Amino acid sequence: MTPLSVVRSVPGMTTETVVRLDGVRKEFGETAALDGVSLEIRRGEAVAVMGPSGCGKSTLLNMVAGLDRPTAGEVTVHGERLDRMNETGLALFRRHHLGMIFQFFNLLDDLSALDNVALAAQLTGSSAAAARRRALELFDELGIAGRRDVYPAALSGGERQRVAVARALMNRPALLLADEPTGALDSRAGEQVMDLLIDLNQIGQTLLIVTHDERLAHRCASRLVELADGRIARESALDRV
Amino acid sequence: MSAVWAAAKAAIRRRRLQTFVIGLVALFCTATVVVSLALLDAMSAPFDRALAQQRGAHAVAAFDPAKVTGAQLTAARDGVEAAAGPFGQVMFEPDGGSGPVLRGPVTLVGRPGPGGDVDRLDLWRGRWASAPGEVVLNAPPEDETNFAMGPFSRIPSLTADGTTLTVVGWAFSVGGSADGWVTPEQMTALRPTGTQMLYRFSGDVSTREAVQQRLTGVTTGLPGGALIAAQPYQVVKEEAAEGSGVYLPFLGTFGVLGLIIAVIIVANVVSGAVISGFRHIGMLKALGFTPRQVVAVYLTMVTVPATVGAILGTALGDLGARPLLEDTFRGMGFGQDTGVPAWVWAAGLVGIPMLVLLTALVPASRAHRLSAAEAISAGSAPRRGHGLRVQRALGGTRLPRSVSLGLGHLFARPARTALTMASLLLGVTTVTFATGLSDTLIRYSALDAAAGGDVSIRPEPPDGPTGVTSSRTDKEVEALLRGLPGTERIGIALSRPVSVLGQSEPVHVNFIRGDVAAMGYEDQLLEGRWTAAPDEMVATSELLNKRGLEVGDTITMELQGVRTTVTLVGETLQNLPGPGDGLFAPWREFDDMEPSDYFYQVDLAEGTDLEAYMRAIRAADPGLSPWSRGGTSELQVIVTGFSSVLAVLLATVAALGVLNTVALNVLDRRRDLGMLKSIGMTPRQVITMLVTSMAALGVAGGLLGIPFGVAAHRLVVPLSAGAAKVTLPDSVLRVWDPVQLALLVLSGVLIAVVGALLPARSAARLTIARVLHNE
Repeated sequence: MTPLSVVRSVPGMTTETVVRLDGVRKEFGETAALDGVSLEIRRGEAVAVMGPSGCGKSTLLNMVAGLDRPTAGEVTVHGERLDRMNETGLALFRRHHLGMIFQFFNLLDDLSALDNVALAAQLTGSSAAAARRRALELFDELGIAGRRDVYPAALSGGERQRVAVARALMNRPALLLADEPTGALDSRAGEQVMDLLIDLNQIGQTLLIVTHDERLAHRCASRLVELADGRIARESALDRV
Repeated sequence: MSAVWAAAKAAIRRRRLQTFVIGLVALFCTATVVVSLALLDAMSAPFDRALAQQRGAHAVAAFDPAKVTGAQLTAARDGVEAAAGPFGQVMFEPDGGSGPVLRGPVTLVGRPGPGGDVDRLDLWRGRWASAPGEVVLNAPPEDETNFAMGPFSRIPSLTADGTTLTVVGWAFSVGGSADGWVTPEQMTALRPTGTQMLYRFSGDVSTREAVQQRLTGVTTGLPGGALIAAQPYQVVKEEAAEGSGVYLPFLGTFGVLGLIIAVIIVANVVSGAVISGFRHIGMLKALGFTPRQVVAVYLTMVTVPATVGAILGTALGDLGARPLLEDTFRGMGFGQDTGVPAWVWAAGLVGIPMLVLLTALVPASRAHRLSAAEAISAGSAPRRGHGLRVQRALGGTRLPRSVSLGLGHLFARPARTALTMASLLLGVTTVTFATGLSDTLIRYSALDAAAGGDVSIRPEPPDGPTGVTSSRTDKEVEALLRGLPGTERIGIALSRPVSVLGQSEPVHVNFIRGDVAAMGYEDQLLEGRWTAAPDEMVATSELLNKRGLEVGDTITMELQGVRTTVTLVGETLQNLPGPGDGLFAPWREFDDMEPSDYFYQVDLAEGTDLEAYMRAIRAADPGLSPWSRGGTSELQVIVTGFSSVLAVLLATVAALGVLNTVALNVLDRRRDLGMLKSIGMTPRQVITMLVTSMAALGVAGGLLGIPFGVAAHRLVVPLSAGAAKVTLPDSVLRVWDPVQLALLVLSGVLIAVVGALLPARSAARLTIARVLHNE
């Protein structure tokens, strides 16, 4: 198994809170996608959010990522109140403290795999050379070094998601958010991505995974949050399979 | 068809921005084209129509009755389709009382009636002269009210060499064959000095040279020197068209630029709509739309806003052209038709939408060819080519990533980039052309101002606004001015209309003395030299061009009742202020001059207070009216105003093209933008990225557009000047310096940035959550 030494070197799970949602409500028109959700995620935890379609999983992820604003309630991530930040503040916060991976990878088609990853560091002002050096380290750690100059369209699904993970880890985020990370992958590639997430969590990376996939939740998460109709229906600790 | 219409309506609703851009582009371009075409029509059509209706003379010829008989003239018909004459002709200076209408020499012709094979006069008021002592005067038709209020009604009679003629009617000759007509018997009594023949020729008469050739054919068999002078119809036509002729070349240029920009932007908008609508096309085909129906949907989608834009643009163009036409052709009598003709309306209403339709056909045919599966899966194929290599190279530079990403976008869709750059290029071409035009006019005005002194003075006429007249003679006024402190040079001029043999219109001659030549007029010589003998004259370019004369030509004038032959020894740029075309002649004394006929120009010594000097003149003699020179010419104001407005319009259209491109890019890259924002790209970086790509295009468009603008300026300005009968020195055409050129490049950047800013700001505010979570 890859040691992922370059990813981050943080202690395991602590009592420090990375995410705190307090009475978060989000309305779209007359419909409440989230209805008074309160949730805490501690450093080093791996939390899976599950529930049927339309239950508010993605909306919850958007709140934590600062991609959307709550109608009511407080969203605190890494000690910062996201619900009070402007767009630029949110962008800077995401740049430095959050990493995100998506079901459909969201890589830029006209950048090579390496440049897709380096981009995240270049946006913070890193030089192209320094960004590419850091990206290459991640490629080595994630086992895709041979695909660095390939463009996304020529990568397999699993490779694309690994590239997306590398990009998410580029700026050593406090929190890694994953939205259906295996949803567009075949079972073998899905397994590889799950292994990668487990490895990341084991070296201290805090994870918040939104998924329909029970297997992914049970393999990667230490806690399961189940949503129904915009509310937390149940929370449970998981023993990883 | 209803399914096509429903799908097109839905597409129009969904692409509001593109629809708006197409409509606006069509509106602006149509308005420009309508104004240009209306002027083009006005320049030629009304005169030609009226000339044809009246069977106006292609040539009005005056023969010497001492050398050729009427019978000989009647017999000479080589190449002649129809002729009128011989008519006796006399030129005379009317005695006072005829008011401002008949100042200067008058050509009277003895003619039995207004009809005939040639020059069928429009007798629009009164009756034809039927007895000695009666005269019919030539003037464009007036309605009853205008006639009563105008100067014509105050001319009951005129006196020719002691004979009083009563005005019994008013007629109009489009070809300007005479100023008035009397009976042949009356003409005999007036002792005619010439014999008039009016000719319509068969064959080509389209140019002055062609008419001259035909005339030579007629006169070949006549005794030598029989033909005193002849005037081709083009002289009158060009005078009529002179006003609009000045505007036409540059309006035409703006019109052509507008059309090209319209084509480019429409191509860009429509191809963008097709490309961004691949999925939509696939869906339509999957639903059962035939390829033709899909093409119909896309053509309808662009034709509807283009038609609305064309309707509004035609109306706007009509409104814009109308005052210009009225101003140019007011009272010229060519049917008084100053409206925009129907064919111009049709060109605006049908032509522009057709142009849009044809332009749209090319990208729309791509929609025709695509299979449903191809269309739905479009965009998933890996991209290849230079774009990726460029993007990679840019990623390794020291440029901020948002800037290098923006620059890389240019290579992702080369066709869209090329079309956008073409519209920017034309935008810069337009701005370059307009600024060059304006600069030329300013330089010309400066050159103009270099001659003529600092102060102009004219004694008040008895019926002047102040009612105070000067009791000083011309020489006393000169002495007074020379004695005032600050006077450095004085030029004195006396402007008189003088009859020239062979020309139906008199020439205004400035008889000059003092320092006129040294006051800048001699410095403005374009050819030849200044006068050195009493029988030499210098003419302005305008006069030479208008009368078809050249330096070195001799002309015969009637000066104080004596035929005098003078040689034109020089061509100069500028006339003295006042009426007429500008001939400078050595001083002559005339007995019949009033003090107010004299005109003085003074150059002041450096440091002299202009206002104080003029106050001193008024204090010394309240009957003298001084004014300082300067100000802006009407032509300069009109041309600069027009070109500025049209340049702004076309630059706006170019900016709309950029807006459309950025809007399409944002639409194409919604997912990418969402991702970039999710990894921390700030709104400002998003704007920087999108604006940078267009600003780079603006630089390229600027660099390429400037040579086109300069070329258009070098071609069009001399054409306009030619229409105004003005020869421009080369110095006024060399208007650009490096600083101006740099500013012009910046204009390209400005157009691009202004166009890109709005969609870039909206992209910066894009809600990314939904884009990212759904494919």
